[in-house]
Amino acid sequence: MNQVWLYISIFASLISIGVALYLFFWVKRQDPGTEKAQEVASWIREGARTYLKRLYIALTIVALILAFIIGVVFSFDLTEVALGNVEITPSNGIQMALAFIGGSICSALAGYMGMSIAVEANVRTATAAKDSLNKAFKLSFYAGSVMGLAMVGLAVIGMSIIFLLTESADAVLGFSFGASALALLAKAGGGIYTKTADIAADLVGKVEVGIPEDDPRNPAVVADNVGDNVGDVAGMGADIFDSYVASTVAVMLLGAASSALTTQYVVLPLILCTLGIIASLLGIQFVRVGKDGKPGPALNFGTVITTVFFSVMVVALVLLTDINIGILWSTLTGLITGVIIGFTSDYFTSEDRKPVYETARVSDSGAAINIITGYSYGLVSIVPSVIGIAVATLLSYFLAQSSGLPGIYGIGISAVGMLSISGMIVSADAYGPIVDNARGIAEMAGMEHSVIETTDTLDAAGNTAKAITKGFSISAAALTVLALFAAYAEVVQATGAEINMSLRDPIVIAGVFLGAMTPPLFSALTMLSVTHNAFDMIEEIRRQFREKPGILAGTEKPDYDTCVGLAAQGALTSLVLPAFLAVGLPLLIGFILGPNALGGFLGGAIFTGVIFALLMANAGGLWDNAKKFIETGQFGGVGSDAHKAGVVGDTVGDPFKDTAGPSLNTLITVMSLVSSLFAPIIAAFHLF
Amino acid sequence: MTVHLYLSLIPEALIASMLTPEEFGSYYAVGTKKKTAGQAIFLEVDPDFDSQYFRIKEGVSRCVPHEDGTPKASIYISVYRVLEHVPIDVLGKFYLVTQDGRTLGLDKSEQIPELDGGSHLYKEIAPVTPLVASRLNPLEFYDLIVKNPTSLVTLPAIIFTELRLGELADNPEMGEVGDLPYSNLDHLREVLKDLKTKAVATKMVDRGSPASFAYRTVKNGFFVGNQSAMAYYPMPSLQELRENNYRWWRSANM
Repeated sequence: MNQVWLYISIFASLISIGVALYLFFWVKRQDPGTEKAQEVASWIREGARTYLKRLYIALTIVALILAFIIGVVFSFDLTEVALGNVEITPSNGIQMALAFIGGSICSALAGYMGMSIAVEANVRTATAAKDSLNKAFKLSFYAGSVMGLAMVGLAVIGMSIIFLLTESADAVLGFSFGASALALLAKAGGGIYTKTADIAADLVGKVEVGIPEDDPRNPAVVADNVGDNVGDVAGMGADIFDSYVASTVAVMLLGAASSALTTQYVVLPLILCTLGIIASLLGIQFVRVGKDGKPGPALNFGTVITTVFFSVMVVALVLLTDINIGILWSTLTGLITGVIIGFTSDYFTSEDRKPVYETARVSDSGAAINIITGYSYGLVSIVPSVIGIAVATLLSYFLAQSSGLPGIYGIGISAVGMLSISGMIVSADAYGPIVDNARGIAEMAGMEHSVIETTDTLDAAGNTAKAITKGFSISAAALTVLALFAAYAEVVQATGAEINMSLRDPIVIAGVFLGAMTPPLFSALTMLSVTHNAFDMIEEIRRQFREKPGILAGTEKPDYDTCVGLAAQGALTSLVLPAFLAVGLPLLIGFILGPNALGGFLGGAIFTGVIFALLMANAGGLWDNAKKFIETGQFGGVGSDAHKAGVVGDTVGDPFKDTAGPSLNTLITVMSLVSSLFAPIIAAFHLF
Repeated sequence: MTVHLYLSLIPEALIASMLTPEEFGSYYAVGTKKKTAGQAIFLEVDPDFDSQYFRIKEGVSRCVPHEDGTPKASIYISVYRVLEHVPIDVLGKFYLVTQDGRTLGLDKSEQIPELDGGSHLYKEIAPVTPLVASRLNPLEFYDLIVKNPTSLVTLPAIIFTELRLGELADNPEMGEVGDLPYSNLDHLREVLKDLKTKAVATKMVDRGSPASFAYRTVKNGFFVGNQSAMAYYPMPSLQELRENNYRWWRSANM
């Protein structure tokens, strides 16, 4: 029966990928617009491809090195190594290395597909906006769906095939590590790229020279639009791919490690993912802009209806099969909590709610007050999400346990439940940068005012979807790493080593402190990369304005490529230290201080990671929208003291919300996966 | 190439140029090497205009193309006390230039805007640039400053505009400021309150008010007058600007 489920998963994944491909070609068949619009779009397309090419070359090298190390390490029977015996089984190493490479390829492919269609859909959306908002919305949402459906399809097919071939959850762990390693670099790199270009373009363009956003005279305008794609499409796609796979793998590992559970419970997370794919395929059909012409409610309705479809299918699964009822409670707990957390994140970043209004209102007293208020609301915004995570943890644990399942397995299932509708969530999220780009192209190509107004309306809905997705993905990552944390302990115990993570043990306390330090340090490194790279790009923009006087007069074309190249080069070279933190530091802690300290390290990293991720994502979104709220004509509008303070707050918040914040959940996932993978060898070899 | 005469208001100067108004606006705002000036306001002057106060012919004769054939951008004929010596009837279109060089031309109108009561906020553009609040309507204000001054303060000519006060006009204490980007709002509210409660016609809001200001705050248009005549240049409505002059409008709203 398990094999049947795996075949069903593969079949559903193929349908998902097939629909994604169909939508891909459907979008490509739409009108690409005027020659000027196509020319502008081609600059963005080429810039995005150049960056991705460089990124993927670098990632291929990193992936091959890591695959080689994994291949060598896993050629040893690690359980035996822990007991002091050396047995070499090369096939194990090759299997794990191939799984790792498979994960990297699938993650890269999902990001590449999403970005490829985004850079085609942007100009077509702008062109469709000439006809109607409905037409433009449909096109941009379907383009976003290419990313959503490709991502879940590739993830599930990858995991299913590996499990079908190896019948080993450990091999799927290799797949997950491959996906996460790539996701971390894609997300952090994309985040650094996008904010480098955004901040540099704004500081010179708007503040120094006084030209509006998306003005073709700005040499960094193409890099800025490319950044939307590499950061918000490829980066965010890889990030959710990583959480999606990691949550599934964590539960598979827990299922495999528990003697109380049958193989059915190892395959179960894949079954849930399959139901999620079907629910997303159905849900996407219901995303329509009604007569009122509001895209925001249409996207939210899509999320809600997908949740309902998925819930009904899980109920049917539990009632029609012999699967424990605890699975239903845990799944629903995760699913409902995910949606609630997503929408509460929206509360803190919505223009019509108190936090944004208050931050905007006090801004006429200066940037300091704007920052203190926004930061404080960002801290408050942690509360509902953390309570949600705590409630989901406790409910799923005890409901699973009361139904006869291991409690920690229930926590893992709740994470899978949260992420099961990722197909729909990512579709709505990828829609955002597409319409944002469409607006940029409309501006740069000099399209008529009505097109810009339509793309503005579409863009506002994209920002809301983005805020919801961030809350969703951070919360899901928190539950996922809790499951991975438990999986780590299981793997260590499986080697016969004792694991004791008591806070009375100074080694564990040292680990907790070191772990707690890591997410802030990672955030600082990525944000410093943004300021460093932005400084270089600012100099380049100033140089172009100085040396080519015709740029501002509109008689000379800026050199967009140099700015694109600077952003790409800067982003990639900035990844070395953050990557070491994610992969090297857990190993260093493990080999020096031992598995107990590593457990403490993971605990510390998980807690500060979740806190920082929520704070940064929400505070950044809040500052952004406070500035936008002032720009709508409140508290003095554009050019007022309040607006000047709002611009400062927004600039501070930019790397918070788009660079450091969203990368943190991937960081803690990668650290948990590295620890779980190397747990047996760490258990055998450590200094203290 | 045709030589144009422009009366610049920021700073006050008479300039000969081979550039069209749009090109001149762009040049004047962003310069040739880098950004040099920012927002600019100028009027087109009849190219046949001559005056004993200015060496116009000499300036025009120097306005020749560069060696490479490119047009001469500017020859300053006079700075300081220019406006008072330029008759109103030789003035052509009124140009508003944004800080990144987008130019909007306004035509003269025979129709004076509807005069309403309540408080007013006047931005003087030339020859001095203070921000003044007043109970007087624009025509009364012009009379007071230029034609029949009852105080010691008088100007031979003036260019000014009335800025929007929104809810502050009727309710200075509690009125919403909306999209009015004025600095030191508490002071503005106090001044407007004084106009309602004290026997004064005008009160200074900011004597050091910068020459540039947000174009979207213009209530009706621009008044240009001297001892003998006055011209009015109406500003299109916000809706018209958004729809017909989107690029300029967007740039003006930075």
